[in-house]
Amino acid sequence: MGAYLSVPAWWRNLDGRYRLVVGECQECGGYTFPAEGACVECNAIDALTPTEPEGTGTVVAQTIIESGAPPEFTTLLDAEGAIGVVLVELDEGVRVPGMLTDCDPHDIGRGDRVTAVVRRIYEQEGITRYGTKFRPD
Amino acid sequence: MQDVYVVGAAQSDFGAFPEESYRSLFATALEHALDSVDGQLDRTDIDEAFLGTLGVGGRQLGLSAPSVTEYAGLDGTSATHIENACAAGGSALRQAVQSIRAGMADVALAGGVEIMTDMSGDRTRYWLGVSGETEWERMAGTTFAGVYAQMADAHMGEYGTTREQLSTVAVKNHRNGAKNPHAHLRFECSLEDAVNGTVVADPLNLYDCCPTSDGAGAAILASREVAKELTDDPVRITGSGHASSRVGLFQRPSLTSIPASQGAAKEAYDDAGISAEDVDFAEVHDCFSIAELLAYEDLGFCAPGEAGTYIESGATEPDGERPVNLSGGLKSKGHPIGATGIGQAVEVFKQLRGEAGDRQADGLERGLTHNVGGSGGAVAVHVYEGGWA
Repeated sequence: MGAYLSVPAWWRNLDGRYRLVVGECQECGGYTFPAEGACVECNAIDALTPTEPEGTGTVVAQTIIESGAPPEFTTLLDAEGAIGVVLVELDEGVRVPGMLTDCDPHDIGRGDRVTAVVRRIYEQEGITRYGTKFRPD
Repeated sequence: MQDVYVVGAAQSDFGAFPEESYRSLFATALEHALDSVDGQLDRTDIDEAFLGTLGVGGRQLGLSAPSVTEYAGLDGTSATHIENACAAGGSALRQAVQSIRAGMADVALAGGVEIMTDMSGDRTRYWLGVSGETEWERMAGTTFAGVYAQMADAHMGEYGTTREQLSTVAVKNHRNGAKNPHAHLRFECSLEDAVNGTVVADPLNLYDCCPTSDGAGAAILASREVAKELTDDPVRITGSGHASSRVGLFQRPSLTSIPASQGAAKEAYDDAGISAEDVDFAEVHDCFSIAELLAYEDLGFCAPGEAGTYIESGATEPDGERPVNLSGGLKSKGHPIGATGIGQAVEVFKQLRGEAGDRQADGLERGLTHNVGGSGGAVAVHVYEGGWA
């Protein structure tokens, strides 16, 4: 089946899916997304305290998917023709990946400001999965 | 610690072969590898076998190593599957090197195989994405082309790398691969073709992407004592480096370099007692055009940010100061995931022995292979030199 994401695997990270909750490291003060595992800055274990970021940030890398999206997004790609996917550096200084929404992705690029919004991501096995996308400011 | 020599190495054709199985392709590669040994080596002389494969395409088979070794006449021989996504082959090679250095084996086989072209489009789309960061990166809508596209976007934005410089990778590697009888895509392309390809994940187009392929490779490694009995034209593995990094690009400190490539290169150079400028030629992991440019920088062939001008200078052409991907690379030769790292070793073995036919380059004494898993989660680097220690 490949890279299938089960319902429990989605559910256990809902804070990250809906609110981009990040982990603040009690050892070095750095941030890790998602808020689990070792700190990406200093590798400290069990040191992440969940923190809710503002949800605002800057695009640091972008791509526009025109073919070969993951199968979960085939319908979306067929409907939209292109999917903008960005890495956003949140103002707290941590990077998160996400889709662009409410815009033509060709108008967005590195350096542009975006804000996280909750959107429908995809549907699997009859369950609609919601998460975060990024809307240009 | 025992010195390690490559005494035989070969690959099957890379391509789309509906009439072949993963077992028959591996058996073909092993036969050719045994034939490439100068002296008499029987398959029963192999003490230990390591097989790189992602999971035999999307099948996710258990016991994939003994499944292929039994078919190839190695029933009873220790056989272990190594999985490190697209770096599975290079990682299997690393294990074979270690087994000989440790004195556990006198002859070790590093193999790799993948079958990628025989599944329906639906199934292929599901399993091709398994080697990335599947919970967040993939759920943001990217497969590998998308992640490498983001690295290309960042590199172009930070350093001014151009569309034409990316496409030059495709032009060079297709020109080289057109001379390789085992290559999957044996056609040349013009810079104009490569610049104007159909967009896959902007800024990457079809010409920036390697194909998915069926294929297998086999490299036979031996201790110095055994190698002395088999050949007068030895190829020694002088350096082995291996490193890992965050699987997801968004968790790494840099968007324009692959830390595991830098780490593996440093270990391999230290192991071989050399530095980057001592490398005469290299087979690098050009799964996407930007990946070859990143490799130039991460391996130390040029300074960070200068890979675009480095390729533009012709330095990595067959007649340049440091030819890269004389085989055609993943771009033209093909990318049967688990076999790729072994295919790279095969090319270095042939080039160092002057057996590379129409694509033979002159004056090569020291080669390097660079094999990346995923978008940089694991990397294997090896250094090879002609002659005895």
